[in-house]
Amino acid sequence: MFCIAAFIVLVVMAAFSAKYRRYVGKAWNCTWRRVTFRPCDTTFKQDIKDHLLAPIAVRRPGLVRPASIGLEILAVLVLVTTIWSGYTVVKSAVNLYVYGTCNKQDSASCTLGAEACSIPDETPGFMESLGEFDVLGAFGNEFGSLGETFAAIPARLQTWTAEDYLPANASYLTEDTANPVAVEVIDPGCTFCKALFQNIEEAGFESAYNLTYIAYPIAGTEGYKFPNSLLVTQYLEALRLHPLDGAETPVDWQVLERIFTEKAETGLPWQETINSMDSDEATATLVDWLGEFGLSADQIDAVVTEAASDTVTDIIAANKTLVEEKIATVKIPTIIFDGRRHDGLVSVDGLQ
Amino acid sequence: MKRSTLFRRPAAERLDTGRSGDFGYLQSGEVYLDAACQSLRPQPVIDALTDYYTTYNACGGRVKYAWGLKVDAAVADTRKAVLGLLGLSNKSHAVSFTLNTTYGLNLLLQQLPLGRFTRVVTSHVEHNSVFLPTITAARRLGVDRLVLGRAADGALLYEPAQLEKAVVVVNATSNIDGRQLSNLADLVRDTHARGGIVIVDAAQAMGHSRALLQKTEADAVCFSGHKMYAASLGVVVARHELLTSLELGFVGGGMVSDVRENDFDLVQGDPAALLEPGLQAWGEIIALGRAIEWLGDVRPGGLTPAEHITGLSRRLHDGLAEIPGLTLLNTEPSPVISLYAPAQDSHRLAVFLSHSRISVRSGYFCAHHYLKEQLGLPPLLRLSLGLHSTESDIDSATQALTRLMKGLS
Repeated sequence: MFCIAAFIVLVVMAAFSAKYRRYVGKAWNCTWRRVTFRPCDTTFKQDIKDHLLAPIAVRRPGLVRPASIGLEILAVLVLVTTIWSGYTVVKSAVNLYVYGTCNKQDSASCTLGAEACSIPDETPGFMESLGEFDVLGAFGNEFGSLGETFAAIPARLQTWTAEDYLPANASYLTEDTANPVAVEVIDPGCTFCKALFQNIEEAGFESAYNLTYIAYPIAGTEGYKFPNSLLVTQYLEALRLHPLDGAETPVDWQVLERIFTEKAETGLPWQETINSMDSDEATATLVDWLGEFGLSADQIDAVVTEAASDTVTDIIAANKTLVEEKIATVKIPTIIFDGRRHDGLVSVDGLQ
Repeated sequence: MKRSTLFRRPAAERLDTGRSGDFGYLQSGEVYLDAACQSLRPQPVIDALTDYYTTYNACGGRVKYAWGLKVDAAVADTRKAVLGLLGLSNKSHAVSFTLNTTYGLNLLLQQLPLGRFTRVVTSHVEHNSVFLPTITAARRLGVDRLVLGRAADGALLYEPAQLEKAVVVVNATSNIDGRQLSNLADLVRDTHARGGIVIVDAAQAMGHSRALLQKTEADAVCFSGHKMYAASLGVVVARHELLTSLELGFVGGGMVSDVRENDFDLVQGDPAALLEPGLQAWGEIIALGRAIEWLGDVRPGGLTPAEHITGLSRRLHDGLAEIPGLTLLNTEPSPVISLYAPAQDSHRLAVFLSHSRISVRSGYFCAHHYLKEQLGLPPLLRLSLGLHSTESDIDSATQALTRLMKGLS
């Protein structure tokens, strides 16, 4: 154990100082013997330990024994943390490749991937499980999650066709039969979805693709991550079920456009405003908007009723399954176009 | 509670052993106690070597130019000084230079004539420089090898019949505990009486116990310059008869007077050359000459080297014997003392002492057979003195060891 830990430490130190390079070969021989289940070179182990303990021996010889035990414990810790670090690096790299984030449980916390709102993984983390003394669960969940990630590698390699992931009653920002289809997964309350929408408009993406969306209100610890996302989603799905004849842009898209691009009278963006409203205020705002967008009173009543219907509930549930199991993304927004799945915010250049 | 002093040894008598100015380069606080491996070189020896390299740095050996002639003269002086040190004559003995004691012993043993000897004899208390070449020599000669015991006083324990046509190879002074081959003269006489030869490993003897070898009748004496205050060098002092009887396997320039396509003529009248193939370490040979001169002149603290070393040896032995938890191999004071602490690793102690700038040796000191196989001892610690050593050095070492043993127990 000590040999292996010494090898790890010496490799790092040798990178900065030639003084330690002569020991690396010895440490490697010792490590190789250890990992092949043969006795370590005790002379090397003893030499390293003795040199580390010598300053203590000169000042306080009585502390040599406890310090020696401390070194052994430290060696175990170095080894365990190195193995854990190595495992984390591999796991993060695979996660980054498969999901576009190095932290699958909280994708927003990974700065290596594109910016996004994360879909929280409700499975307890390794340390959380250990904290609850659930050792089996900790390792089970950890390796289960890793297995899931590896199992998703083939899906990452596949050619993504947006038509395979269309929601019920898909509505398009613009429609041109000559254009390919693109589908984005959004949460109306997510600030990165707003940014993506702005990039889409700046890139003229809607002119090159028939863009539709899957509204996916991200679940939070209690209810939803953004309190009115479900309400807005219900109205969006109801509007898809009751499209306004003759509208140049589908009314559900007009609602999204207002949320993502316009500001309220207070000067605050509508997305921020809606996120801070209570349910009644948000409902009233949406109803007002429907009138503005040309719906009659009867049509508004129909949409309001539909928004609360089982039909809409079922559609939202189906979309949830589509996002979590079929697309299997952990980042919102996600957009599928050009044969690929793009997780997180895509830049203007990326959209062009 | 105050301890009774009734049974305590009286404190060793204080000697004036201030560091000789010849070792003035030694940093204050630096304690070197590994002279049995390599003695520190006094400044005059260093100066002699430097002088050679900076003022007449040339080849010796049949050259006509001034620098080379100066080298030849200095080398000849060193050969003469070596013989003088042992009280021997160039009429009967020759001095050859080589790499070290081990190399010298091998040169002799691996070139002994086949068929003349029936046995190789050595002892258990030998350095690997003797122990290993006697194994290979016996194999080459196709004879038995007999390993004998040594008495506590260092005498070889033998029956005269065991020496019949024997090649006897033993040390004059042990590198473990300094015990001396007290029956060397008897051994040589008994061996010669039965047609055998005696080759002495004098590596540890030449520094501080040369008296044993004065006018020795042994057939060869091998030793190292670097254990007697000279530069790194091996020396073989051998009888002419032994040298001329060798079946030479190592040959080269400097040994021949003429060379033909398939034969050569060895140089005549210079038996020393028979062990000196190729270029010699001229500077080191010259430095050995200066070291011998220095040994004759030096008076540390006004004492003779023997008095100085004897006094320090006693102080070191007494100081170490008082430290609880240490087991000394020595029964008597000696400039070389080996010990171990049953509860502590000697290598660890050596590292810890090194951190206090005290240099001691740890392990089996190239005497694995005796210490490890025969006595079954763990690795040991060895403290060895030289003419650079002082009472202060010894006190620093014993105090550091006392503190360590107390703290580690």
